[in-house]
Amino acid sequence: MTAARMFPFTRFRVEDESMRPTLEPGDYVFVNRWAYRFQSTKRGDLVVVRDPEASERFLVKRVSDATGPTEVQLAGDNRIASRDSRAFGPVPLERIVGKVWIRLKR
Amino acid sequence: MSLLYSLARALDRVSPAPIAYAHCDIPCGIYDPHHAQLAAHTVVRMVDLINQLEKPGPNATAEQRQEYTNKLTRYIATKEQHSEIAKSELRILWADYFKPDHLKTFPELHDTMWKALKTASKARQEINLQAAEDLLKATNDVASMFWKTKGFETITAKAPYPTERQTVYPKFK
Repeated sequence: MTAARMFPFTRFRVEDESMRPTLEPGDYVFVNRWAYRFQSTKRGDLVVVRDPEASERFLVKRVSDATGPTEVQLAGDNRIASRDSRAFGPVPLERIVGKVWIRLKR
Repeated sequence: MSLLYSLARALDRVSPAPIAYAHCDIPCGIYDPHHAQLAAHTVVRMVDLINQLEKPGPNATAEQRQEYTNKLTRYIATKEQHSEIAKSELRILWADYFKPDHLKTFPELHDTMWKALKTASKARQEINLQAAEDLLKATNDVASMFWKTKGFETITAKAPYPTERQTVYPKFK
């Protein structure tokens, strides 16, 4: 395990517009990779996940339903311009990278 | 711009942050099998029109032959074009709309789509009413699956076009 992996926080830069107005393209998010070791996902959480349709890519979305024990539904805040669980279905919990802990607006 | 934001930007020069996409895919989720069905109707209609066209006899004038050729060419061109529209629309549904989850409900999905595309090619290549009818039936089968995935029942009714063939429509609540 690398030093980076042992550190719980990692940062991402946001692109695209499906999380407007919460996140704008160019914003940074700091993600806590360990957040869900101690608590379960809740509706309304902002999360970074591995894209169910392209594993090498990361998505930032909001949890719209966390009632499934092994999966969550994701939605973009900008519903009319979001590709999310409405298109790709529920996302297994193991694809969640972590919970957004800090948002840095540009 | 906050100090922390500037720091994050500066950090990017040392080690760029990975991108988290707030991904959109416009036009989001706008799919409808009706385009494919409509194109299939046009193909059926063109075959009907070609078959109804009176062929010029041995004593036909140059003008009559020219008129025949003009009409036949136009029907064929339209048949070519709309077979291709049907194929394009079917491919969009197959590749972009239908997801692995749908396969669990409709295990025949891949086979139906594959045969539908083959049938569309046959309808394009030949003046073949059976192939045109098969294409229409295939688009109806796809429409039935599509509307079920959307949670709508379907009805099969005679289309209000000159083709008057049976067509699958959603029963909107």
